[in-house]
Amino acid sequence: MRTTSRYRAAARTIAVIGVVSLAAACAGSGGTGGEGATTGGATGGYPEQNITFVVPFSAGGPTDTVTRMIADPMAAKLGAKIVVQNAEGAGGTVGAGEVARAEPDGYTVLMHHIGMSTAPALYKDLGYKPLESFQMVGLVTEVPMTVVARKDFPPASLKDLVTYVKANASKVTLANAGIGAASHLCGLLFQTAAGVKLQEVPYEGTGPALTDLVGGQVDFMCDQTTNTSGQISAGEVKAYAVTTPERVKSLPDLPTTAEAGLPQLEVSVWHGLYVPAGTPQDVVQKLSDALKAALADQKVVDQMAKLGTAPVPAEDATPQAHKAKLEEQLATWAKVIADAGVKAS
Amino acid sequence: MELLDNLALGFSTALLIQNVLYCFVGVLLGTAVGVLPGIGPTATVAMLLPITFSFEPVTALIMLAGIYYGAQYGGSTTAILINLPGESSAAVTALDGHEMARQGRAGAALAAAAVGSFVAGTVATVVLAVAAPPLARVALTFGPAEYFSLVLFGLIVSITLARGAPLKALAMIALGVLFGTVGQDLYTGTPRFVFGQRELYGGIDFVSVAVGMFGVAEILRNLENEHTRTAIVGKVRNLWPTREDRRRIVGPILRGTGLGSALGVLPGGGHVLASFTSYAVEKRISKRPQEFGRGAIEGVAGPESANNAAAQTSFIPLLTLGLPAHPVMALMVGAFIVHGITPGPNVITEEPALFWGLIASMWIGNVLLVLLNLPLIGIWVRMLRIPYQVLFPMIILFAAIGTYSLEFNAFDVYAIVFFGILGYILIKCGCEPAPLLLGFVLGPLLEENLRRALIISRGDASVFVTRPISAVLLAVAVAALVITVLPAIRRRRETVFTEEE
Amino acid sequence: MERRRSLPDVLAGGIFVLIGGAFVVGALGYELGTPLRMGPGAFPMLVGATVAALGLAIVLKGLVAGEVIPFGPIPWRAVAVIVLALVFFGFTVRGLGFVPASAVTALLTTLASSRVRPLTAVAVAAGLTAAGTLIFVVGLQLRIPLLGPWLGF
Repeated sequence: MRTTSRYRAAARTIAVIGVVSLAAACAGSGGTGGEGATTGGATGGYPEQNITFVVPFSAGGPTDTVTRMIADPMAAKLGAKIVVQNAEGAGGTVGAGEVARAEPDGYTVLMHHIGMSTAPALYKDLGYKPLESFQMVGLVTEVPMTVVARKDFPPASLKDLVTYVKANASKVTLANAGIGAASHLCGLLFQTAAGVKLQEVPYEGTGPALTDLVGGQVDFMCDQTTNTSGQISAGEVKAYAVTTPERVKSLPDLPTTAEAGLPQLEVSVWHGLYVPAGTPQDVVQKLSDALKAALADQKVVDQMAKLGTAPVPAEDATPQAHKAKLEEQLATWAKVIADAGVKAS
Repeated sequence: MELLDNLALGFSTALLIQNVLYCFVGVLLGTAVGVLPGIGPTATVAMLLPITFSFEPVTALIMLAGIYYGAQYGGSTTAILINLPGESSAAVTALDGHEMARQGRAGAALAAAAVGSFVAGTVATVVLAVAAPPLARVALTFGPAEYFSLVLFGLIVSITLARGAPLKALAMIALGVLFGTVGQDLYTGTPRFVFGQRELYGGIDFVSVAVGMFGVAEILRNLENEHTRTAIVGKVRNLWPTREDRRRIVGPILRGTGLGSALGVLPGGGHVLASFTSYAVEKRISKRPQEFGRGAIEGVAGPESANNAAAQTSFIPLLTLGLPAHPVMALMVGAFIVHGITPGPNVITEEPALFWGLIASMWIGNVLLVLLNLPLIGIWVRMLRIPYQVLFPMIILFAAIGTYSLEFNAFDVYAIVFFGILGYILIKCGCEPAPLLLGFVLGPLLEENLRRALIISRGDASVFVTRPISAVLLAVAVAALVITVLPAIRRRRETVFTEEE
Repeated sequence: MERRRSLPDVLAGGIFVLIGGAFVVGALGYELGTPLRMGPGAFPMLVGATVAALGLAIVLKGLVAGEVIPFGPIPWRAVAVIVLALVFFGFTVRGLGFVPASAVTALLTTLASSRVRPLTAVAVAAGLTAAGTLIFVVGLQLRIPLLGPWLGF
């Protein structure tokens, strides 16, 4: 008898757990239904099942945000559900490696940023080769970066900054969000462009780095507009320049590095889509067409504008343009990183 | 009365029907994931983030925040019932909370945790509303040197988490710090102690260590004497705290709330320290320190209050400066951006309805949580009646699934095995696991800030004593070490003598 | 009885010495750096040495005046079965899929108790697999296939 009542208690408890999980299910699937599962008419052949977009960085980060923005319109165009999956680790190389080893059938797609071109220089035994292990689908967006400093940092302009850091090279500190992060790469390029070697202070991500910059613990850094524009417009940090050939709409008063006299400092966090090498050409073409359609979507344009960026022009959302960009960037960063003597493993 | 106007604006926003609804969904989900081992608030927020893209911004943020502090509530439930902490703060709750459950007082422990959390949440909401901007400025004066000293202080304080020999506790803390060094070195990118496995580059997962050292080790302990011991839990004595309990938890709740509110503001790991600093304080000032670790209700009420207060004030840097103090908040920054709000100091002036609405919703969320949790206590306590032959496979299976689901990384599951066996042997040898867990959480912060402070000071170690806040913290740390170790030695001598008589 | 030898103390201390020492040896393989720029090896070396030193102190104290702790029996069957279950789960969840991996893991784990009857074990395993699927896959939308590629899906 005792055993029976015990098992009944167990059953009740499992029922409670079930109710809680059902509540979770309702919240989960209800929302997904409203937002994600866009299934339209298929065009025959590919795609016949859900497509997974692998983001090799954490959810909620800039790359993840961009991926989720384009996933919906792409899903609508392709007529299949797109599932975004985060596989972070080791500067994006874990997720990239997973996709490189995946079936080349077009159902596993990688979204990667500038890190694709820097990983071979930073990591040994990568397990994949950017140009050979992947088939490029197209570029997505190029996020501009900004050079910012603590607000009481003496230099008033980018030119002043270069003169100042040269004169005080042993005292100035340059923050970044960790080895291989966009802010680290931009900082390396700044040092090369300015011809100076500075003391770098790495942080675990942008948040803590920016916190110490606002708090005046470190002198300056270079980071994506996504992260800095709020602090810039509030006057919490001093901004010197934006690192793209054109000014950014959300920060109209900020000169470009070329205008400010340091044209060598040109860098953007470019994003692209990849599939494993060996994926059939017509599948790649379908993905690329869907990407183009998504980038032309006004909603995507608006959302990206809020991030301080914009979709690439249609001719860049192609495998050819993407391949050219990757080749050029691989060469650039191999040199910059070798010159700086950085090695992640 | 500007504050009253602001609060009126906040409550008129937060009390909109869809906001209350999603606040409830948020805290309910938070409680659910807090209760389940493995899946934490960060993973949940990450999964639900895209769903919130279609909401109003304030609704989205209310729900995400609800998940975060709701999980702090839920986490203590698992810690108390089955000795399985999902977060470092819950490891402290498990010490006395699970001991109380074993004595049949799980209901009292859960109620103390819920009431403490509610009081703390209410006070912290007021702190947020009244003093957020100036507190954020104070937090910014903390640089790497200050954080190093603060973390060192925290590590020394965590000796008090053990009831046994301080020497062993110290060794366990240091061992935890050591395991924290596994993974890619932040400063050079060098992978350390990873045996060539890329999956280990991100370090060992906290959940694996906690599930192994607490969950698996505990199960093995319970299976030792299967033939002589039938039930792990004594008869459930009373569901609610007694009058004596209620009297004993008032002080700890108030002190914990104060400590937590203050520490939570610091973005470099302050909220991690809140719960066990509170535990140490309660143990030190208690007239019955020997009860701690053996089911003292103060050891549940204080840390739980501190933890919840800190969870809420840790929103201060995010809300006033746009600077995230926790991975969940980094995700919320993403939510801000997606909704076209640039996170930063301007949110307060440009989006007052959002700012004050979110603050008001936290209090509403706390009310909902207490309404949700108090009736659940009866059900949770009944869960202890599940026969152990069903309960322990459930813990192991759910822990494995939960841990795996974090990163889809089988290494996190293998790590459970390693830490389970290691923990089991060490516990059998009289070494308690809680200090190791805290060393593991705080170790990376210790190293990071030590090295960063030295880079910024050009290798001059005197920064730690020339910067005033850092110097004070170091002095307090040394004092804490002295008063913790000295009486312990004396007391131990006494017990040795009494035993020998 | 003034001096007492404590075997658990010696064992615990030995573990600390072993692990601390292993980390020190490992840290020697990394750059130690300078105080200005501490290398990746410096901190683990320092902490590893601390752990080893504390371990040594515990061993010495254990030989002279240790804590007397009853070590108790070791449930070898439970240790073996739980280790096997967890390793099995980690190794096969991707290949076999969520349901088979969970079912086998649950079944193995129930066998850790020496008092379990086979029928109960099967019932518990089935119930837990169902509950797990409901909570994690249906409820929390976990993206693990229910049946994996090894089974031909």
